[in-house]
Amino acid sequence: MISAFFIFNQKGEVLISRLYRTDLKRSIADVFRIQVVSNSDVRSPIITLGSTSFFHVRVNNLYVVAVTKCNANAALVFEYCYRFIAIAKSYFGKVDEESVKNNFVLIYELIDEINDFGYPQNSEIDTLKTYITTESVMSTNVPAEESSKITTQATGATSWRRTDVKYKKNEAFVDVVETVNLSMSAKGTVLRADVDGHILMRAYLSGTPECKFGLNDKLVIDKSERSGLGDAVELDDCRFHQCVRLDEFDSTRTISFIPPDGEFELMTYRSTSNVKLPLRVIPTVTEIGTSSVSYVVTVKTNFNNKLSATNVVIRLPTPLNTTTVDCKVPNGKAKYVPAENVVVWKIPRIQGGQEVTLSATAQLTTTTHRQVWARPPIDVDFQVLMFTASGLIVRFLKVFEKSNYHSIKWVRYLTKASGSYQVRF
Amino acid sequence: MRGLTQFIADIRGARVRELEEKRINKEMANIRKRFKDGNLDGYQKKKYVAKVIFTYILGYKVDVGHMEAVNLISSPKYSEKQIGYLAVTLLMHENSDFLRLVVNSIRKDLNENNEINNCLALHAIANVGGQEMAEALAEDVHRLLISPTSENFVRKKAALTLLRLYRKHPEVIPAAEWALRIVALMDDTDLGVVICVTSLVMALAQDHLDAFAVCYQKAADRLYRLVVEHEFAATYAYYKVPSPWLQVKLLRLLQYYPPTEDVTLRKVLHEVLQAIMANSAEPSRNVQHNNAQHAILFEAIGLAIHLDTNSPLVTTAAVLLARFISSKETNVRYLGLDTMAHLAARTDNLDAIKRHQGTIILSLRDKDISVRRRALDLLYSMCDTDNSELIVGELLRYLKIADYGLREEMVLKIAILTEKYASTYKWYVDTILELISAAGDHVGDEVWYRVVQIVTNTEDLQPYAAKVVFEYMKSPSSHESLVKVGGYILGEYGHLIANEPGYSPLEQFQVLHSKSQFCVAPTRALLLSTYIKWVNVFPEIKGQLVNVFERYRHVLDVDLQQRACEYYTLASRPDDDELLQNVCEEIPPFPPRESALLGRMNKKHLDTEDKRTWIHGGKDANVEREATRKNTRKLTLGDVNGTGATNGVAHAADAAAGQDATNETINSLLGLELSTSPSSGTAPAFPNMQSAPAAALAEAGIPRLTVNASVDRWYEKLTYTADGVLYEDVQLQIGIKSRYHGHIGQLAVYLGNKVNAPLTSFTTTLHVEDPDAVSVSFAKLATNTIAPRTQTQQLIHIECKKPFSKPPILSVSFLAGSHQTIAIRLPIVISKFVEHVKLGQADFFERWKIIGGPPREAQSIFPIKLDDAGHIDIARQRQVVSGYSLNVLDGLDPNPNNIVAAGILHMSEDGKVGCLMRLEPNREAKLCRITVRSTSEAVAAEMQRLIQKPLGADSIS
Repeated sequence: MISAFFIFNQKGEVLISRLYRTDLKRSIADVFRIQVVSNSDVRSPIITLGSTSFFHVRVNNLYVVAVTKCNANAALVFEYCYRFIAIAKSYFGKVDEESVKNNFVLIYELIDEINDFGYPQNSEIDTLKTYITTESVMSTNVPAEESSKITTQATGATSWRRTDVKYKKNEAFVDVVETVNLSMSAKGTVLRADVDGHILMRAYLSGTPECKFGLNDKLVIDKSERSGLGDAVELDDCRFHQCVRLDEFDSTRTISFIPPDGEFELMTYRSTSNVKLPLRVIPTVTEIGTSSVSYVVTVKTNFNNKLSATNVVIRLPTPLNTTTVDCKVPNGKAKYVPAENVVVWKIPRIQGGQEVTLSATAQLTTTTHRQVWARPPIDVDFQVLMFTASGLIVRFLKVFEKSNYHSIKWVRYLTKASGSYQVRF
Repeated sequence: MRGLTQFIADIRGARVRELEEKRINKEMANIRKRFKDGNLDGYQKKKYVAKVIFTYILGYKVDVGHMEAVNLISSPKYSEKQIGYLAVTLLMHENSDFLRLVVNSIRKDLNENNEINNCLALHAIANVGGQEMAEALAEDVHRLLISPTSENFVRKKAALTLLRLYRKHPEVIPAAEWALRIVALMDDTDLGVVICVTSLVMALAQDHLDAFAVCYQKAADRLYRLVVEHEFAATYAYYKVPSPWLQVKLLRLLQYYPPTEDVTLRKVLHEVLQAIMANSAEPSRNVQHNNAQHAILFEAIGLAIHLDTNSPLVTTAAVLLARFISSKETNVRYLGLDTMAHLAARTDNLDAIKRHQGTIILSLRDKDISVRRRALDLLYSMCDTDNSELIVGELLRYLKIADYGLREEMVLKIAILTEKYASTYKWYVDTILELISAAGDHVGDEVWYRVVQIVTNTEDLQPYAAKVVFEYMKSPSSHESLVKVGGYILGEYGHLIANEPGYSPLEQFQVLHSKSQFCVAPTRALLLSTYIKWVNVFPEIKGQLVNVFERYRHVLDVDLQQRACEYYTLASRPDDDELLQNVCEEIPPFPPRESALLGRMNKKHLDTEDKRTWIHGGKDANVEREATRKNTRKLTLGDVNGTGATNGVAHAADAAAGQDATNETINSLLGLELSTSPSSGTAPAFPNMQSAPAAALAEAGIPRLTVNASVDRWYEKLTYTADGVLYEDVQLQIGIKSRYHGHIGQLAVYLGNKVNAPLTSFTTTLHVEDPDAVSVSFAKLATNTIAPRTQTQQLIHIECKKPFSKPPILSVSFLAGSHQTIAIRLPIVISKFVEHVKLGQADFFERWKIIGGPPREAQSIFPIKLDDAGHIDIARQRQVVSGYSLNVLDGLDPNPNNIVAAGILHMSEDGKVGCLMRLEPNREAKLCRITVRSTSEAVAAEMQRLIQKPLGADSIS
């Protein structure tokens, strides 16, 4: 299993170093620095040198690195790294060099808690927060004398939930957040379109509630033989929070669970078929001789006109020898950013069913080596509220509790794209 | 340039690579915009180009600013020009199209009188060094190097630039043509210039030995002045050692040339080397001093060995080396072993080295691999019949623990030594088989080919070899090479031992066949051939053998299958069939030939840049190599002079050398005579000889004669007079005084400077076409400057050994503003060594008759001029004849107009040769008949030619 855990900064300096086992020396950090950080050729997240494997995850110019000497489950090691990042985020907000330096005592405490002799342990944030506390994370809901309960809870059947939770108002919020990935060829054919979905839940429910959750998932629907509804969605790679009873899901396709208290990620999924693209980009880019390039880019929204896309940012790549760009836009603002070799067009809001067009001309300078412009893709970022690109809908969320209290349930949908919604031209 | 400073500061300050990239993209966009807008002044251009350069240095692609850089070069301001040059050298590679635009600006800067601009341009040329640039600018760089107005540091840079260009594009530099001019710079007063020029000369001289022959004298002279006379500027002393770098270079340069014949030079060099060795004796003050001393000492020892291995210097050197090879410092040990290998490669007497055999063998176990390698080389070189068994045994023992990288070379060396110094065949077979079984994978095919060859050619050895091989084969794991040797030898000679107990055919078969399953296809094929031979000689095991063939008929390997099928058919023929016997006739001995092993050894030394002047191996190897080198040199010289030496031999040698290794091996194994006709793709040695005779002459180091009417007249006059003017022009006068006695002569050459400036870098060299026939040498090294309006004298010692026809050439070169070279024939002709002899009438005619007619008689009839009165100028004729040292014998001939004369030619090698002459002028016909009879044909012809020349009507005097 994991023999050591490190955090490096951009320059390869060690910020955090924790050896879980004795089969490694502390100097192994130098190996990583030399072989990975300083070596710009290596960008694979897993490097095996000799019998030692380095797994690394980059976040905000930090390298979060796990080292192992044995044939460990790579997915598990990465999950552990990402989980550490999530925990760190919830403890001190941003995970960057400065916050790591400011919180290094806390970090050591955390990584000792969530890992024992290289084996990952309970990494549930809410549970951790009950006994690893800081100034900002006060253990309010557990009196000090009850700390013995921690042990019971940690080793009990539902290690993620305390038994004695009480709320005046029993509420549950469900957020369905979808990230659309698109790559579209210059001819307008979709090369790849898929949706990464996360279902986040915030449960403020008393007692030990038993929840049941239903989606318009094809499998579920087929199972329950109600094929009358035609809008069933095919989901791939569903992953659930540990509270979900997998055996029940396997046999009856129902998602039933006892939720942890507070916020958690109930499930993640992927959908690759019938992806509804909320924005369509129609670019016409022509190179006029060697001295200029003209752009005509039309953006169409492709959803109900009651909804709207916000924070739309379109990045139009320019040739590397661009000197100036003149832009004309009816909506939002567009300007040439030489530092990134793009024209950035920002539109705060577009209603559904609308279309806007940018026209621009880039002036070029002559270069020594005539190189054909590589034409990198146009990149689009946006957010659309109350819209799911996969068409997923939460059909029900039922809460059963011994006391049979009434609970209020809220569902919210969000579709967004950041960095991977790309159109070639 | 605050903008630039700010830009660099920003980039340095960027925490993350992405930020750095952003900053650079932004800056580049700005620069693009500025460049596009145009109207930039020099300062702005300089600033932006500097930013572009900085970005480029950081590793980013840059594709603007080239044009601006080119513009900056032609800017009048230094700072702008500098940035422009920097950009050109950094941004442009040697094949860049932009370089064409720069060439003219660079040329302009080279031609300018400003030395800073010159230096910038030289830097650019050296750094870029493209073919096109070299072609266009080499001429200008050379001019800068030789120009008397150049500053010292410009000349230094120019020399190094030329060196760089030569290394990259040797064909661009007309090295031979420039040779004399460049060598003249080795006399410069500034040692820095001398070091740079010497580096250049070293590179050029390696490829153009003859053209640069003058540098030998210069180097010796400079060394003498540095080491013995301590003539150097204080700034060039490095820890009190006078310019060690220069000394090392000069000593190395001297090793490129064959040891000089010139007695004076030898004496000078001896003195220098002695001084160096004496210096090394003094204890070193510190590391740097020690290093400098050692560097010089090792080169000096190398030179001493190169010059003469029998000199007392080498004895001293051997003692020093012995101390070095047991030194504590690895570097010293390494150099000691290497130099000792040089000594071993050259010396006749290995005793001095053998004394340290133990230390050297111990060095095989040194902790440093390069030292081990040198020790191996040395052991290989120092091996001879006396110590071969010990050394080979030691090497064999070491082989088992040696590094893998070293093993293959070791195997080769052991194999060569074993063969070369084998005292008994038994020892040879034992050793080589042990070698094969020990080294296994590292044994090249050549090794076992050679074993087979030797065993086949030595009848006495065959039974013993068969037995030993059989014993080796019995061991459970034998290497494939051993199986191959075993298969071959047992197949051929197995029957010789078959009658002895333990070696029966069946046992032989079982042992050999048990190995076959572990072998690759070619080895199995060889084993099949062995079996068919056995079918012939061992009918008792025919059954098993046929069985094997039967099985192999179905294997997938084509070669194996074909052999098996053929052998099967052959074996299944009726017993009385003679075909099998004929096919399996014993292999006849191989024709004797050189071992392929040596060829393989020596190939390894070919591709080093700084050529070694010797090869590893005993003295014989080196002597042989020298001989071939000399031969090829002679041949090419022959070509140049058109004396009719055919190219055939050289071509044959070239063609042989050109064959690739496999060919060589096959050749030597099978004794095939591959046709080595001259047309087989080898170009003539000097393809452009005819088209460019001047260059060719220069290449061969033969000075080009200075020709004009008066030079010929002076020369001709001096051939029959002792003193006179040999050459004269506005700057220089050369006068001659000579004295001869027997085969020895002494020539005093008076060199007079006629101008009001000193003649510097004054060099006189002698060139003799046939050094075996006549030897000439200066009595001492000449001074290299002649003060204004003064004269110096140089003595030349002459010795006549054999008849010769081409007079020695004196070439004089000096700097008087420009570099000038004068090459003139010295009036040293065969007649100078003739002494008067007095003969009576009877004696004369008796000898005259004994010698008889052609070929020992040379006769010709030639027109003569009459004097103003219409008479024959008898007085002059007599004067000429006696000027040629023949004794005019009066009263011998009845006709008083006829002249009869006699003399004896003295030669140190060919002894004395009598020479009789008769001159018969005819006034009416204005003709004259000359008859020369001599016991040597060559002498007769030469004398006739000499005497006729001044007498003839077309004589110029």
